[in-house]
Amino acid sequence: MLESLPYELPELVTSAPLDTHRSTVLPEWVDWNGHMNVAFYVTAFDQASGAFMRNMGLGRRYVDGKLGMTFVLETHVTYDREMKEGAPMRFATQLLARDAKKVHLFHEMFHGEQGYLAATNETIVMNIDYASRRSAPWPVPVTARLDLLWATHQLLPKPAKAGRIMSLSKKK
Amino acid sequence: MKLAPYPMIELDLSAPLDRHRATVKPDWIDWNGHMNVGYYVVAFDQATDTLCQQFACGFEYTRDKIGMTFVLEAHVTYDREVKEGDALRITTQILDHDAKRIHYIHTMYHADEGYLAATNELMLMNIDYASRRSAPWPDFAMERIERLAAAHASLPKPSQAGRLIGIKKK
Repeated sequence: MLESLPYELPELVTSAPLDTHRSTVLPEWVDWNGHMNVAFYVTAFDQASGAFMRNMGLGRRYVDGKLGMTFVLETHVTYDREMKEGAPMRFATQLLARDAKKVHLFHEMFHGEQGYLAATNETIVMNIDYASRRSAPWPVPVTARLDLLWATHQLLPKPAKAGRIMSLSKKK
Repeated sequence: MKLAPYPMIELDLSAPLDRHRATVKPDWIDWNGHMNVGYYVVAFDQATDTLCQQFACGFEYTRDKIGMTFVLEAHVTYDREVKEGDALRITTQILDHDAKRIHYIHTMYHADEGYLAATNELMLMNIDYASRRSAPWPDFAMERIERLAAAHASLPKPSQAGRLIGIKKK
């Protein structure tokens, strides 16, 4: 376990949900149906996970410094409404749970101007040791930040779209 | 619509469907040196095209302004890394279907080494081109979906299907 990180960490944002990440639907994310392709919703959400990790002190310098990486283990997306080329996106991220090596996140993607919910993404991200490429406990300062974040995020209600099991019989 | 207005490919009733092959492209790699999570879904979405071609709801279906297929929900398990240039083999199993939707799971293997790389469970809905709203599958597609589903019905349900995401409490 890393006791410290050899760079200055950004100021911690503890507001809940985390509402800092913004993005735009790129032309190359649009498919023959004329809307953002399913895969690029995942790319956009992955960048929102990146924003969450930067808030934890785990940005590019964590990887470039050969300290560690974060890998997604599992992800669940609900596609709620179409997004077109150039559409602005706003992301809200809730920490649902954490343990010594993993975080369980829930992202919501909103149209940045019209405000509608476009998609949700529930995901598990794990800390990885750079050298062994295997799972490892969070660095100590990251655990401290996760504890601070948990204090505010645990007060949020569980999102309705979290914890879904896919089935035809559930929906009409 | 009774008949597709373009030729349909020969139906493949082997179970699971085992036709899709791909290669990990250089631009699918991220700063961790492996295929990025988003591009697993690009690869799986292309396997969905291979599935949809089986019931003539692929590219021609949209090109001819008949309909489209929209994904409602997706669940991915990332089981092992794949690197640039790796050969991928993706198999597909239909789990359930109704008048407008199919529920299915893709399994991605490293084609040379054989290991499981990822799975993708999906809910896909048929969309009317003009209204951009849900609509029943056309007759030509439904007939084939039913035959595919019947062929896949004898397969065991994969352990990755129907998963709930969570961190197990110790």
